Amino acid sequence: MTDDRLPQPYSGVRILDLTGELGGYCGRLFADLGAEVIRIEPPGGAEDRRSEPVGPDGRSIPFRFLNVNKKSVTLDLASPDGRAVLRDLVAASQVVLYEAGPDRDSMLADIASVPGGRVTTVFSYFGVTGPYADFAGSDLVAQALGGIAWLSGEPGKPPLQLAGRQSVFVTSLYAAAATAVSLWDTERTGASHVLDVSAQECIAHSLQNAVQVYDLESKISRRGGEGTRDATESAFVCADGYVFLAAPLALVASWGGVLAWMKEEGFAGAARLSEPDWQNRGLRATEPMKVEFRKIFEDFVRTKTKAELRDVALARKICMAPVSRVADLEADPQLAFRRYFGRLADGTAFPGAPYRLSEPVWSVGRDAPASGQDDEAVLGPLRAASRH
Amino acid sequence: MIPRFLEGIRFADLTWAGAGPFSTKLFSDFGAEVIKVESLSRPDPVRVGGPFKDGKPGIDRSGYFASRNTRKKSLCMNMKHDESREILFDLIRRSDVVSNNFGPGAMDRLGLGYEDVKAIKPDIIYLSMPMYGEDGPFANLVGVGMTISAVTGLMWQTGYENEAPLGPGTHFPDHAANPYHAAFAVMAALRHRRATGRGMKIDLAQVESTINCMGLSFLEYAVTGEERPRLGNRSAHHAPHGIFRCAGEDEWCAVAVTSDAQWRSFCEILGAKSLADDRSLDSAAGRLAAADRIEADLSRWTAVRTAEEVMHAMQARGVPAGVVAHSKYLIERDAQLAARGYWQTLDHPEIGPSRFTSPPYRLDGERVELARPPLIGEHTEAVLGGILGYGPERIAELRAKGALE
Repeated sequence: MTDDRLPQPYSGVRILDLTGELGGYCGRLFADLGAEVIRIEPPGGAEDRRSEPVGPDGRSIPFRFLNVNKKSVTLDLASPDGRAVLRDLVAASQVVLYEAGPDRDSMLADIASVPGGRVTTVFSYFGVTGPYADFAGSDLVAQALGGIAWLSGEPGKPPLQLAGRQSVFVTSLYAAAATAVSLWDTERTGASHVLDVSAQECIAHSLQNAVQVYDLESKISRRGGEGTRDATESAFVCADGYVFLAAPLALVASWGGVLAWMKEEGFAGAARLSEPDWQNRGLRATEPMKVEFRKIFEDFVRTKTKAELRDVALARKICMAPVSRVADLEADPQLAFRRYFGRLADGTAFPGAPYRLSEPVWSVGRDAPASGQDDEAVLGPLRAASRH
Repeated sequence: MIPRFLEGIRFADLTWAGAGPFSTKLFSDFGAEVIKVESLSRPDPVRVGGPFKDGKPGIDRSGYFASRNTRKKSLCMNMKHDESREILFDLIRRSDVVSNNFGPGAMDRLGLGYEDVKAIKPDIIYLSMPMYGEDGPFANLVGVGMTISAVTGLMWQTGYENEAPLGPGTHFPDHAANPYHAAFAVMAALRHRRATGRGMKIDLAQVESTINCMGLSFLEYAVTGEERPRLGNRSAHHAPHGIFRCAGEDEWCAVAVTSDAQWRSFCEILGAKSLADDRSLDSAAGRLAAADRIEADLSRWTAVRTAEEVMHAMQARGVPAGVVAHSKYLIERDAQLAARGYWQTLDHPEIGPSRFTSPPYRLDGERVELARPPLIGEHTEAVLGGILGYGPERIAELRAKGALE
């Protein structure tokens, strides 16, 4: 909850949100810190109100997550009157977030025609310039052309998408940080800025060191980390699910901790893992050693639960943790201790702040808006002003 | 362009490894003075982790380090030395932000906890990025980026259908979710200080930050009470939706049909009359039920075409499709990244000319121009002399005592 006496960091900043799903989380970040973020929707509601999955109440779940704390105004941008109102709203805003659609060129021209300093952030899968500017995008396609799908999955099987529509989050996060920095400059100098954010570039910017590995060592990083990822770095079957372990030689305490633990329990596999070939980093990243380690370690943890293994990890400083289901998260004792999850007004559990701030300036209060619910409150004053 | 948007803002930056420095890089790229406080006796792990120019190790030869530390300055000191704390305090008094991504308690042990720092600089912005938070029963759990994937559901949900969880092939949360949530929080804190005069502490628990990026999955579970099984490359709502083998060695193309209009185009591209004429496939639900059959037809079609041919044939008719790009493809073949000037080449005294990814947007029609990362200790004298006002004798004395490295 916010303290009424303390302004939030983005109090007084108005943001027009003409995004859909790709840019949805960007506006959320500003709204949670006090900005007035207004979704502009066509009559009948924005397309992403129908984005699946849909809850039993008929509401889109992605729409709800990405639009908490925002307002909604209906505007027919296909009509000249609607465009005129848009220009008035732009004039009264410090930031415009726009997700490129078929009306891209005329929308950008309209937004740019409005005098005054502001930041315009344009979201698209490939950017608004270049030969792919008009390509059709999707989360899967962005993950493919951005390079993250190639790096995931197993050798001999197809490259693999990451779950949870990660391109939405990666793109919105880069965009939000750059928008915040640009707004800082606009407020200092009055200069306007336009950011042309590409989801493909955002993904390609987040490939760990794959770009440098190719550039400096002429090696193509591959899925499964063949030749690079240690035999221990994987999810292993345990008594009640899976446990993730990382105990490469570079993590001295973790590898040493695993060996000591096995020896103390009198586990026979410890002798094999103490042989000299397990001191060879290169060998440990090969398929045969991966297969062998999996067999030994899964034998060892077969009867141990995720919670027991986490306690061992804490006691022995081993880099090991449960592979949690999404369904497990609310009961995670650490997250419960930190009272991480919040609730929306109807009692629905909701992720808490991505950052805990010592000043009480973050809040998730209002559920996602109904289409056009703020028409009168937002457009009324504009109409009154134009009558005078 | 070199955007000096953040000129006048100074960081005493103690972050290291992946997520922390990637966060503070945003600030140096936009003109803030980011002073990387590092140590030779305990160097940044990515400085010694590689990849290295020509595969030859060296403290100033790591491309991974280079990519996370553009336009920063390096102050090299022995953090455990008695006099290092005083130097750091002097730096912090002249800084706006102190940033670290050590485990819980490490900064306190260095005498640099939030309360210590606040005592000498009351309006400081203090960024911490521990994995699981600063307090609580698992605060001391040791972790890497993949650990964060494991405990947030991202690993559980990422994997092939009816097989074990795999998770992302990288330490994915280190490379976007956590650094950019952190950067956004620091910008908010700078605004808050500008408006109120008050600093703040940012406790960014990387697990908590990443769960927001699993927000769609979490809310689906919270609303429906059910968690979806792993889907591989499929979608729960659309078909075809997957990654298909193409002609050539390990070549693949992603194809996602997400609307009825795209479906009609898709059938025409394949020349698949049996699909086009099947009325049961007119709806997304019908296509989903027939996903195996549709994907088998599509696989036969892609198998005799290159990934680029598949992508261009689909995209010419508005069907989302894209080559599954690897690093070499991105750098040498991707026409879009090349046309947008995504790759920058920077010279470096040890590495020579090498490639960098631009910040992933064009700003006012231009690229944000990067500057090379610092050599270790490259700016020690400049920081001590120029910013802290130490004379040459004092600096020599600190060096003789081993406080500087």
